[in-house]
Amino acid sequence: MSRLDRTRTSAHQLRPFFSSQNLLNRADGSAQFDFVVGPAEVKLRDEKLDKATLEVVVRPLVGLPGIKDKAREQAIRETLEPLVLSGLHPRTGIQIVVQTMKDDGSILATAFNATILALLDAGIPLKSILGAVTCIVDSETNQILLDPTSQELANAKSTHTFVFDNKSSITSNTESKDQEDAVEVATLYSDSTGLFSEEEYFKCAQICYKAVQAVHGFIRTAVQKKLEKEQQQIHS
Amino acid sequence: MRDADPSTNEREFLLAALKDGARIDGRKFYDFRTLRLTFGAEYGAVEVQLGNTRVLAKVSCEVIRPYTDKPTEGFLMFNTELSPMASAAFEVGRQTDEEVLVSRLIEKAMRRSRALDTEGLCIVAGEKVWSIRVDIHFLDHDGNLVDAACIAAITALLHFRRPDVTVVGEDVTIHTLEQRNPVPLSIHHIPICTTFAFFNNGERMIVDPTFLEEQVKEGDMTVTLNVHKEVCALSKAGGIPMEIDQILQCTKIAVVKVAEITAQIQAALEADAKKR
Repeated sequence: MSRLDRTRTSAHQLRPFFSSQNLLNRADGSAQFDFVVGPAEVKLRDEKLDKATLEVVVRPLVGLPGIKDKAREQAIRETLEPLVLSGLHPRTGIQIVVQTMKDDGSILATAFNATILALLDAGIPLKSILGAVTCIVDSETNQILLDPTSQELANAKSTHTFVFDNKSSITSNTESKDQEDAVEVATLYSDSTGLFSEEEYFKCAQICYKAVQAVHGFIRTAVQKKLEKEQQQIHS
Repeated sequence: MRDADPSTNEREFLLAALKDGARIDGRKFYDFRTLRLTFGAEYGAVEVQLGNTRVLAKVSCEVIRPYTDKPTEGFLMFNTELSPMASAAFEVGRQTDEEVLVSRLIEKAMRRSRALDTEGLCIVAGEKVWSIRVDIHFLDHDGNLVDAACIAAITALLHFRRPDVTVVGEDVTIHTLEQRNPVPLSIHHIPICTTFAFFNNGERMIVDPTFLEEQVKEGDMTVTLNVHKEVCALSKAGGIPMEIDQILQCTKIAVVKVAEITAQIQAALEADAKKR
């Protein structure tokens, strides 16, 4: 089947990743994910006594920040707080700014991915890395589509965003297609809107989980390449 | 978070270098940094890189009711919020002096100079007009935000295409992008800002200061001109007093710079138009 944007041929394909790190020189760390969200910066500031305080600012492409952006800020902050080893940096603050550079669907998932890349770029100690993917259940075909564009989002019956970390793995039998089979993964964040059944929800979770492995792989490769380039620059 | 003031070493080195006739990054006094324009996939999205300073401008439009006392005029709105991304010194929600000055300069240069024809934005007099909104996001602050923002804003406005409209009596049809090709905005002239920084008791003038030069400067001035050698705006807010001859010399330098930058913008727009 061909998807609406004609660049992908399977329902389970993600759009190509494109990311660059360390773009900004006034920030300690930054990353850019090409399909939606822009650079996120991380810095240090004074705040809590025994932990680092995480502050997230989300700015939209058009217009002033509104409640949707506040909701995204809260989502990112609450998901990242247990992940950041904040005990290592007491009385400091970590500020993350997420700027949307282009809006074509899946903003929250891209914001999560860009944030984790920026945190890695800044060298903030983390317990694990996370990966996020959005999927929708199309209202006409009832198919589950990964990483929807804005056009596909408009046709969705329900939208789900999942964030998984890279420490857990599928322990269930992968050959079995039975949805009731336990997918023992640690979901860091899950947001669903629309009309859907319990069965659809778990199927989406499983599909997203497999897709997130690709995201993790990409994050690893991106960081590796960046370090290799830096090493070359030092030795040349 | 406050920005750390430059160290005494940095400051003295910069001032001594300027006295000897050199700038820290190797530029000549009246040289702009390398200007790079990147267009987004949609119309009206432009990212400007002036050296290390990065600014993103995005134009959007919607149809609204005009003011009752100006029934044939459309709206042009600028949103220039400086986010902490550009520099740790900028806070969310609180406007610093610098932010206010940048906002005002952009408004003066673009809106007051009537670069965009607001009468051409009218659809049905007294009922429907276009409201054009330009969001300017500052991504990285390495000095001279005003010039970069101005270039970004005017290039985005030149790049933007609004949906085509047909009016038949009282019926207004706004065509989607698939039905009809979108229409460019009518821009009368292209105002470009040139910022000067003053040092050495007013003897030394440089164009396009970097962040370090801005922190050490004694005064500054921004001249907004277009290619037709018309002054759209001139802003010298405080700082060290300068003589009239020097102000006039600055405008003469600015004329040359504006011609170069306008040529570059138009070349970039043509190259982008060919790609689509």
